[in-house]
Amino acid sequence: MKKGFLALVMLLTISTVLSGCYGGGGDEESSTDSKDSGEVKQEIVVNAMTEPPAIDPALATDTTSGWILDHIFEGLYTRDKEGNPVLGAAKDVKVSEDGKTYTFTLREDAKWSDGSQVTAEDFEYAWKRVLNPETGSAFAFYMYYIKGAEAYNKGNGSVEDVGINAVNDTTFEVQLNSPLGYFDSLLTLWTFYPVQKEAVEANENWSAEADTFVSNGPFKMSEWKHDSYVVIEKNDEYYDKDVVNLEKVTFELVNQATTYYQMFKTGELDLVMTLPTDVIATERENPEYKEVPYYGTYMYMFNVDKEPFTNKKVRKAFAMAINREALTKNVTLGGETPAYAMVPPGANTPNGDFRENGGPQFEEKTEDAKKLLEEGMEEEGWDTLPEVTLMYNTSENHKKVAEAVQEMIKKNLGVSIQLGNQEWGTYLETTKQHNFQMARMGWIGIFLDPVVNLDYYLGDSPNNRTGWVNEEFDSIMAKSKVEQDQEKRYEMLHEAEKILLDDMPFMPVYFYKNNYLVNTQFEDIVYYVNRYPNLKWASKSAE
Amino acid sequence: MYIVKRFLTMLLTIWVIASLTFVIMKFIPGDPFASDADVLPEEVVENMRAKYNLDEPIPIQYVLYIKNLAMFDLGPSIQSETRTVNDIIASGFPASATLGLQSLLIAIVFGLLLGIIAALYHNRFLDYVSMVIAIVGISVPSFILAPLLINYFSVKWGLLPVASWGSFQHSILPTLALATTPLAVVARFMRSSMLDVMNQNYIKTADAKGLSSFKIVLKHGIRNAILPVVSFIGPLFVSLITGTFVIEKIFAIPGIGKYFVDSIFNRDYPVIMGTTVFFSVILVFTLFLIDISYRLIDPRIKLTSKGD
Repeated sequence: MKKGFLALVMLLTISTVLSGCYGGGGDEESSTDSKDSGEVKQEIVVNAMTEPPAIDPALATDTTSGWILDHIFEGLYTRDKEGNPVLGAAKDVKVSEDGKTYTFTLREDAKWSDGSQVTAEDFEYAWKRVLNPETGSAFAFYMYYIKGAEAYNKGNGSVEDVGINAVNDTTFEVQLNSPLGYFDSLLTLWTFYPVQKEAVEANENWSAEADTFVSNGPFKMSEWKHDSYVVIEKNDEYYDKDVVNLEKVTFELVNQATTYYQMFKTGELDLVMTLPTDVIATERENPEYKEVPYYGTYMYMFNVDKEPFTNKKVRKAFAMAINREALTKNVTLGGETPAYAMVPPGANTPNGDFRENGGPQFEEKTEDAKKLLEEGMEEEGWDTLPEVTLMYNTSENHKKVAEAVQEMIKKNLGVSIQLGNQEWGTYLETTKQHNFQMARMGWIGIFLDPVVNLDYYLGDSPNNRTGWVNEEFDSIMAKSKVEQDQEKRYEMLHEAEKILLDDMPFMPVYFYKNNYLVNTQFEDIVYYVNRYPNLKWASKSAE
Repeated sequence: MYIVKRFLTMLLTIWVIASLTFVIMKFIPGDPFASDADVLPEEVVENMRAKYNLDEPIPIQYVLYIKNLAMFDLGPSIQSETRTVNDIIASGFPASATLGLQSLLIAIVFGLLLGIIAALYHNRFLDYVSMVIAIVGISVPSFILAPLLINYFSVKWGLLPVASWGSFQHSILPTLALATTPLAVVARFMRSSMLDVMNQNYIKTADAKGLSSFKIVLKHGIRNAILPVVSFIGPLFVSLITGTFVIEKIFAIPGIGKYFVDSIFNRDYPVIMGTTVFFSVILVFTLFLIDISYRLIDPRIKLTSKGD
């Protein structure tokens, strides 16, 4: 018997010993004194939801890692408050006559967080690290515009032939295969950020823990408690440090929507995103609520090799038969914008917003849709439409949208479609194997140019699972990439989008929106349409 | 001799579990490198596959895996590119274990108490109260109880933080939410076991020879009634300290519970294998310890296998 109690006592002891394992802590109390000292503590606590998989410029492929990277690193180009690319770590750039050679001059005052100089060698090292096949970088293909990059990354070329050269400490030269109209925009992507050569060479796992980080952005890494939080602090070595007001940013990693919503309500968080859908309606009136367009498109792909979507008119009929206003107002509820094209609002051109200039590419008209469906069936000689299954990856929200679309198609076209869902990993495999008729997909532009969205449907794009190949579309897209005249380039992109929407290998449903709750004490938080809020200029005012 | 034999069986069990998991895992359709944000050129995917030895034929992958496993190297995570599975377990396990032990402690102490009270006051008011508590504890799932606790203790009364991890205060609500179900189960187990024991002849004998009822309950009742509960506490202990998906998600606890589930959705092969092997090692080892502890609690059980 005594032994049984002994076990209990032991449990008690172990538990007490382990209570040293809560980790971190301590900070909580200090933040409550801020009112006494009179001055407002320039600190913000935001929710990043999930553990960032890789806070490493070469390895990151997700928006959470990107969010932190954008705050602690800076590339040759960075973005101003409006989201336009402006020179960052470089102070000057010269483009050769043929548009293929870029010569950057780095700032003398561009410093690493340890005080050392950011050199052209660091950039060369960082970029070649991305391209090195052994790094296994997923975003390496964004560098394929650079001479010799693709061959090296695919194992068919040598690193010496890559057009990335540090001429001296401050001169960095890049050679492209052909001119690229949006190279400045591309360079704001984290894949092109520098890393400090010594730090990375000294420790292969430098990006796994906070204390081995060396960075060159407005903030620097301070603490990373895995699966719990990431803390970054103002980087005093940053050349533009005077515009940075916040001393400390904490990214909490709370993944449960109701939990982080409640944490916002109790003041434990200052900024949360992706609100639980059931609170959006009530929060919309709240001055803390913010709705921002997100540069992505929610769509249903058609498999053009499977009946009935082999017929263009049937595809069009389906696209025209749903009511996107009703869908976004009553079903998705997040303030999404009905989509009648591929490229979302948010891409700036010299003549204004690309989407506004392009306008809607088709209209919802029930009568015309019915007519098109009949014509299409006649062309194919079908008396009844082959059975259609709409696939989506398992999720409550996708299910709601699919059910609404099913209902609308039934009502407006008189066609009953089936629904099917699969878990995400399996779903990707199924769609990749071309084993669907109509399937949901979302696409977010990683940098702000229509080309990112339109490239999705290139004949040889691994993303394009529809089986749709259009030579005219492909050739216009290819030409647009080498076009130096920006105005002409955008014209070509408009033309390409028209061809795409005329053939309709997919139907757009809506353009994404992000919704946030933000403590109103904070000012100058910048909301880019394809990133989470940027805090470089943010500050906290007194209550 | 028996202990050595048991130990070898343990290793064999773990090897079988690891091998089965490996085979089943390879049957799930999908690929760790597929996602909607970056459907990549074939060569880029090849580079990444090579990094994780996934370009090798499956039998060789298996041999490599078992070889590393024997050296306690669970490999790199694919999803979290900069960390290894060992890192993930090392940083997540303390939080899960702390929470699990606290819950286990509450579950055992209050579960036993409730069970004993119920048995002693059989079919009387206190019995009904205890059993109502137990039934509510079993039937209300933790994902309902947790938001309820948060809503009152944090949002309405402002007594405790909503979520996240960092101090003892942070651990109170998740501990309560996690402890409720096992507490109820322990209480029911203890009640029936105790009722059983209290009807035995030796209890009547003890009563007849004039022992105080306190002594009877403590020395003869609980001591005998607790045995079946101990065998149930083993697996409970293992499942509590290895983290729980739901509680860790709701309270944003940096434990390992979520990796058991997320790794499968992400097709993060090394993490699937790592968490499974880790869990089975702890389970098999705990069962081994429990076997031995029977002997200590009840001398009638001998530590020999048949034929020895």
